[in-house]
Amino acid sequence: MGNSYTTWYRTLKILSVATRFLLQRKLRSALSILGVVCGVMAVLAMISIGEGAKREAIRQIERLGTKNIYIKAIPLTQDQQHKARERLSQGLNRKDTARIKASCPHVTDVAALSEIKASVRASNLEFSPQIVACSPNYATLKNLFISQGRFISDYDTKNNNLVCVLGDAVARSLGPNGKLGSNLRIEDHLLQVVGILGRQEATNGDSSAVSIRNFNEMIFVPLCAKNALGIRRDEERDITSDLTEAVVHVDEVDQVIFSSALIRRTMDVLHRGVEDYQMVIPLELLNQAQRTRRIFSVVLGAIAGVSLLVGGIGIMNIMLATVSERTREIGIRRALGATRTDITVQFLGETVILTLAGGIIGIGFGLGAVRLVTEWAGWATAITLYAITIPLLMSLLVGVFFGLYPACQAAKMDPIVALRHE
Amino acid sequence: MARYLIEARGLHKEYSMGSTTLRVLKDIHFLVKNGEFVAVMGASGSGKSTLLHILGCFDRPDRGTYLLGGNDVLRASDKAVSRIRSTQIGFVFQTFNLLPELNVRENVELPFLYAPSRPSDVKGSVTQAIAEVGLQGRMDHRPSELSGGEMQRVAIARALVIDPALVLADEPTGNLDSSTGMEILNLFQALHANGTTIILVTHDREVAAHAQRVVTLRDGEFVHDMV
Repeated sequence: MGNSYTTWYRTLKILSVATRFLLQRKLRSALSILGVVCGVMAVLAMISIGEGAKREAIRQIERLGTKNIYIKAIPLTQDQQHKARERLSQGLNRKDTARIKASCPHVTDVAALSEIKASVRASNLEFSPQIVACSPNYATLKNLFISQGRFISDYDTKNNNLVCVLGDAVARSLGPNGKLGSNLRIEDHLLQVVGILGRQEATNGDSSAVSIRNFNEMIFVPLCAKNALGIRRDEERDITSDLTEAVVHVDEVDQVIFSSALIRRTMDVLHRGVEDYQMVIPLELLNQAQRTRRIFSVVLGAIAGVSLLVGGIGIMNIMLATVSERTREIGIRRALGATRTDITVQFLGETVILTLAGGIIGIGFGLGAVRLVTEWAGWATAITLYAITIPLLMSLLVGVFFGLYPACQAAKMDPIVALRHE
Repeated sequence: MARYLIEARGLHKEYSMGSTTLRVLKDIHFLVKNGEFVAVMGASGSGKSTLLHILGCFDRPDRGTYLLGGNDVLRASDKAVSRIRSTQIGFVFQTFNLLPELNVRENVELPFLYAPSRPSDVKGSVTQAIAEVGLQGRMDHRPSELSGGEMQRVAIARALVIDPALVLADEPTGNLDSSTGMEILNLFQALHANGTTIILVTHDREVAAHAQRVVTLRDGEFVHDMV
């Protein structure tokens, strides 16, 4: 009787015969899987490109630091400025940072940064570097790598030292004037170079939600130097405490969301409800990026599904033609004792073998296409296990789905008619 | 073992073609003993092919009973009928019906693909069956490389390889010249001598003469049964 061993043996044997029949019709087999090959190739390429884009976004967000929360000052319009003044909000300033550090339990440190509109007086500079005044802890919170000298210290802040730290590109561009110990002229002041940053990996920095600073083209000065640099006072406010950005560091990733709520409340109280600041939470952006990515995947999946559907329909057509062409063979096999199931297995097997082969070939081409995209278009791509298994699985499913109808047609055939068929 | 290998009683089959009904078999009783060599004679349209299809479990009569080796095959499922075909019945056709993609050995081995159990020595059985029809030297040839007579020998080897209780042959010499046809008929007679039950359908009186018993069908009825 047909125990499971013989059933398996029989199925395998039928499939191996089916494979031989396919190999004897190489051109037809190759043409019939063309659609599936293209579909699988497209799926793999799209998943890899999508994955690459996602990783690039995550990498950028992670560079901001998942344990960091950014508070950024929003430039206000004239009208808004009046309102802010009425409510006695003073914009983002050092009082805010001090209060946040004091009142939020999980906040370990707060760094302050203020952009300065001043220009460097140096003839050999190829670009105008961005000058920022920042607190000494900025380097630690942002993981800045200092290749020579030191970063701005508390000592500098206390003593109103006129010192500066150069970004890598700035130091290179300045040449001999950009060495440690040399003096750099900013507006009417000479600042001594005390440190040079290591080269930061360049980013295309186009991700919409986050703007990543290019530290290579920046000059850092102590916060106190801001006054000394003689920036015009266009407001009555104490300009020294005016900040562009505050970086809040939280001790645990789990506490980031909670702390951000706490910080928002603190800021709300300090600013009396004036929305003159904006909070950027990289962790939240990361989560958002992952949500976006999920939608992206669904869209990609739909496109891939359509392309495989077309491939599947193509293969079904060929298989239907094959079945009617091989009517006589079906009759012979039935006469020799093949059951309807055996015939179904044979033709379904042929389709699945075809689509799987198409899947494997498509993956080969897909990997090549991804390589080309990376090398020629310079897009970030990432080939994951999913990028290979999903299209392969889909090609298998397409084979089963579109092979079933022709296989059933073959099995349904009346053996007498099949044998008489010429 | 039942006394008769084939016990068909009251077989009735009709096809309706529009308003007219064509009665192909009218109340046929057909009993065949084990080891008999029966020729079914008749002109085309006499119903002999339909009878063969019913005996081969391809077709079902509208009325009547059919026991093959004591089994009621008319009530059996497709699977059970397929099993009977793969273990008990060998077919030989007028047009040989070999698979052109397979060589001689593979064509002869094909019935084992569908048999519920395989003999321990498939290769030996296949070789022996091919030797019995005298084609030892042609094992690896494709059907397209063989003559008509050789192709029919392969078909007979394919029918024999499962050691069937019954061989059904449908005009096996119809596509062959008379001397080749004679060789094939001698092969059938040798088979018969070994104890295989053979039912051969033909319209040719000379071919039928090789059988032990000749029945003649006319318009769906047996008109002659002669031993």
